[in-house]
Amino acid sequence: MKTKLAGLFAVVLMVAGCHNPMNSVENAQKSGQRNMVSDQRVVMDMGLNRSVSVVGLNTAMTPGGVLKVQAELLNTTKSFHRFSYQFEWFDLNGMLVNNVVSPVVADQIEGGESKFISAIAPNPACKDFRLKLLEGH
Amino acid sequence: MKKIIILPLIAVAGIFAGCGTNAHYVQTGGRESIVSLGQINDQDFISAASAATSDLLASGVLDRVKNPPAVLAMSRIVNNTGQQIDIDLLTKKIRVGLLQSGKAVTTTTFGLGGQAEDPLAKGIQQQQEFMNDQKTTRLPDFTLSGKIIETKANAGDTSQSTYSFQLSLTDNQGLAVWEGEKQITKQGTRSSVGF
Repeated sequence: MKTKLAGLFAVVLMVAGCHNPMNSVENAQKSGQRNMVSDQRVVMDMGLNRSVSVVGLNTAMTPGGVLKVQAELLNTTKSFHRFSYQFEWFDLNGMLVNNVVSPVVADQIEGGESKFISAIAPNPACKDFRLKLLEGH
Repeated sequence: MKKIIILPLIAVAGIFAGCGTNAHYVQTGGRESIVSLGQINDQDFISAASAATSDLLASGVLDRVKNPPAVLAMSRIVNNTGQQIDIDLLTKKIRVGLLQSGKAVTTTTFGLGGQAEDPLAKGIQQQQEFMNDQKTTRLPDFTLSGKIIETKANAGDTSQSTYSFQLSLTDNQGLAVWEGEKQITKQGTRSSVGF
């Protein structure tokens, strides 16, 4: 029995060790200033919220007057994680804008990694957005 | 005792194995889509087209024309993969995205080798020019060309396919004013449902 448990434990460790958490370094004195926006969240999946935690959202306008959104994600766990995301865009009347530039995107994040995902509005009339995050397969 | 437990288990497993999945609708390009190894899927075209359109809009190059919206003509997109592809699966999405943005319109009367995508529209245009006795055709500001490349690698049972979608936007002076590349890599031992 003990031998079986030890074997199982070893396998679990091997699988967990396939993807090691990430270390990173960056310049401390930032030249760029992010235009952070306040957000409101609906969290239904606490596990996903730990693996793909939204640190903050910032926006900018492109030269053509189209809204660009960037979200900073952080994996607060030590394990690699697959997820998918999609941006939705809304016009001044709060109506969802159907478009081809906002697909469901499959992505992945290493343990402890901070990464950015971004999207651009399909047209200059889009003023608001929503980011949907889903567990990967 | 063992037999009593094992027999129903086998029966249940048999039922599940025999059932399969009933046909149902899924979101095109959504997370329930089939992911194939060695083949470009719908979600790959959607992802590549979306990346190209977003990048083009963000670059602001379409806003630099004298008379907006910019006029775009479709040039050659070379398929260097092992599979037969209808290039419209990529280009149509880009065209729709650019049209919806209000930044560009695509001409259907200008094509490679003088062949119009819409011959009737070209005929009407020529007829109108003849009746008015003046050229009304607006030449394209940009052309879109590109290439799709496939690279494959194997390690034991694991296969990996990378598809590179390379696109160039050339202005009417022959300069590539925007270029984009989206690479999509798929790895595994067999195709699966969902990503």
